[in-house]
Amino acid sequence: MSLAIAGMGWVTPLGNGVDAVWERLLRGDESTATAISEQFGDRSYSAFRVPDSALTGLAHPRLRRASVISRFAAAAGLEALQAAGISVDSQKGQRIALIFAISNGGVIYTKRFYGDVVETGAQSASPLLFPETVFNAPASHLAAILGVTGITYTVVGDGAVGLLAIRMAEDVMTDKSLDYCLVVGTEEVDWLLCDAYRRWHLLRSAPPIEPFSKKKRGMILSEGAGAIVLERPSRRRAAESEARSVTIEHAHPGGCYGKRTEAVEILKRMLRDLNPTEADFVISSANGTFIDEAEQQALEQMTPDAITYTAKPALGESVGASGLWQVILGVQALRYQELPPVLHADPAISLRLARSRMAMDKARRAIVLSSGVNQQVAGSRLAIG
Amino acid sequence: MAQLSSTTGKKTPRRVAVVAAGVVSPLGFGLAETLDSLRQARDCVTAVTRFSVAECRCKTAGQIPDDRLAAGLSKTFRAKRLHRASHMMIHALKEAMTQAPEFAPELTVIGTTSGGMSYGEQYYRSLRQSGNLRHAPMWIANYPAQKPVIDAQEKILGVSVPCQVIANACASGTNAIGHAFECVRSGRYQRVLTGGYDALSELVFTGFDSLQASTPEKCRPFDRNRAGMVLGEGAAILALENLELAQERGAFVLAEIVGYGISTDNFHITQPNPSGVGARQAMERALHSAQISADDVDYINAHGTATIFNDAAEGKAISTLFNGVPVSSTKSMMGHSLGAAGAIEAVISLLALRHQFLPPNINFNALDDRLDLNVVANESRPAVVRMALSNSFGFGGTNASILLRRVGA
Repeated sequence: MSLAIAGMGWVTPLGNGVDAVWERLLRGDESTATAISEQFGDRSYSAFRVPDSALTGLAHPRLRRASVISRFAAAAGLEALQAAGISVDSQKGQRIALIFAISNGGVIYTKRFYGDVVETGAQSASPLLFPETVFNAPASHLAAILGVTGITYTVVGDGAVGLLAIRMAEDVMTDKSLDYCLVVGTEEVDWLLCDAYRRWHLLRSAPPIEPFSKKKRGMILSEGAGAIVLERPSRRRAAESEARSVTIEHAHPGGCYGKRTEAVEILKRMLRDLNPTEADFVISSANGTFIDEAEQQALEQMTPDAITYTAKPALGESVGASGLWQVILGVQALRYQELPPVLHADPAISLRLARSRMAMDKARRAIVLSSGVNQQVAGSRLAIG
Repeated sequence: MAQLSSTTGKKTPRRVAVVAAGVVSPLGFGLAETLDSLRQARDCVTAVTRFSVAECRCKTAGQIPDDRLAAGLSKTFRAKRLHRASHMMIHALKEAMTQAPEFAPELTVIGTTSGGMSYGEQYYRSLRQSGNLRHAPMWIANYPAQKPVIDAQEKILGVSVPCQVIANACASGTNAIGHAFECVRSGRYQRVLTGGYDALSELVFTGFDSLQASTPEKCRPFDRNRAGMVLGEGAAILALENLELAQERGAFVLAEIVGYGISTDNFHITQPNPSGVGARQAMERALHSAQISADDVDYINAHGTATIFNDAAEGKAISTLFNGVPVSSTKSMMGHSLGAAGAIEAVISLLALRHQFLPPNINFNALDDRLDLNVVANESRPAVVRMALSNSFGFGGTNASILLRRVGA
């Protein structure tokens, strides 16, 4: 089943808005790292944060007490709907599905809530914070803001969860009573997450992220949201010129690896299903960890000639949001027929990387690969026109 | 591709069979123990021992004993490191696959609310107390919500199956089954594993206590003197298959899933719309999806948390749609297992269909005067049950209902 992308929204540490972020990526800009201090020790971490100013103008009462993860999601979701020219009214509320992709969820409020319990006992537990710790809090806020009354799902997983949510969108859009599906990926950063990934040897203390490096020095966490509005291609063609219309031709159901060494075989199987010979470029999820090697091996064996791009050195690893960000990158590259430069890549890497801003004339298809660090992989194929 | 009707050329939805099921909950390990507890109207709620509840109003929960969870699992170091939630999922999947060893799923759809939360708690406490963090990588690796699903697949199926993990608060389990049902019904998949799991954790227990949603007393759904919920835990798995294919290969069919309804009521993040509109829409949509009328339903396994607000809204919705259909909330016996609840209650509904009885709503003294319900009070009873409806409602105003039909009914 193929679905057209009718609108997109993007909240990142590099800025807000699809075109603004895209322009900065093309220029080779990268996010500025912020130091985050540990609460219980003197360690400091680097993370790419979304500036507070990015969320001004979001004044809905449902967001008054909501954590930033919900605000990111609302900002991206509203931008995507606006770009698609969709206003949700009481009639449309049942005809639009809302699917959220989340990995770590509302970690800031969860930590605060549990911190109060540990510090001063259960009687200090906040009834205001607890509901915000639930994985589907961001989805419920956006559903309330929009007036969505039908399908609302929150899918949880690792960095692959964004593409898994898109696959789920494909599944739900078999229901002909739905006109649209809004898919949102969102994540927030906290020192606790930084500490957890560090202890797992996946985080580096300061930028840059060096994609596909043999040294696997690790990633830098980031935050924000990405959103896409999906609809059936027949509807889209009426609204947009075919030349600019990008569809998700195939959202692969993905796979799970037991051991890290199994990831390559699953990625190869998935690439085979996605027919990589037709792809002009690949949007990789390389983030400076062990997943880079798995993706590199799979790509070299299955599609050695495709140009590969990863935005994670510029935007960081946003986990639950990252799959949506990759799809937005793929759509923009197909629409504008060029790729931004891959930052901080070792010149000796054998993959064909977009090392500088690269024209992609006549590019028709792209593959998006998302490999998570917690055993999940997923992929999609995009096409223009 | 969906099946084409030979007469009209239109796509006709596939029928969806449940060909295997597995369950572990405070009611017992497996279908047989669960059935026995239901028939005996056993109260399986006990004093909480996993963490201190000294400062909480509520002191009880439905709990699964660790020694039974560990029994029968591999004694390897790796198995010991797994979270209790993984152990629950392994037990449930093992039981299901024993019934249908040839079942090869194309997808797994599982509901949960909190994954391996207690490992996150241990990690946080150790950090704060500058304690021993030697196990931190293990806690972190086993914390994510998809981990128990992947662990169970790896241990029992031995293969990698794509998985979608739905976290829609207390509706997660029913949402997972409903989505899996739609996946098979649409013809996109032939075989899907589905269900839900959740393990008791201090954070969630304290959270419900802080909302004053949980009770220091017995859990009394729909009772005049109900005072709130108690929590529970567990896991349940259902193997769904295109009915036609299941029959072709001679599979034993436990029941059919025939309808699914979902709604989002947007009223409040923790409270249902008091009018019951969200619950009513979910049930109406399930009936519409199954193309049956309310009169065709013989039993309702209610969400029935025993909170003032939930039972009032759900009770109102049920009495608006149904006329005297027997209703029970089996949470009265085992507590509310959150993401597992919808899956466990689907299995309980399935047992009601197969064994022709009504599961009880225990601790029940007198019906809330404002409700008009036919509650299956305190004892199970024999009944003709051809169609059962199972409800789950959650934070964020998410509501889900599924309909199960007896084979041959």
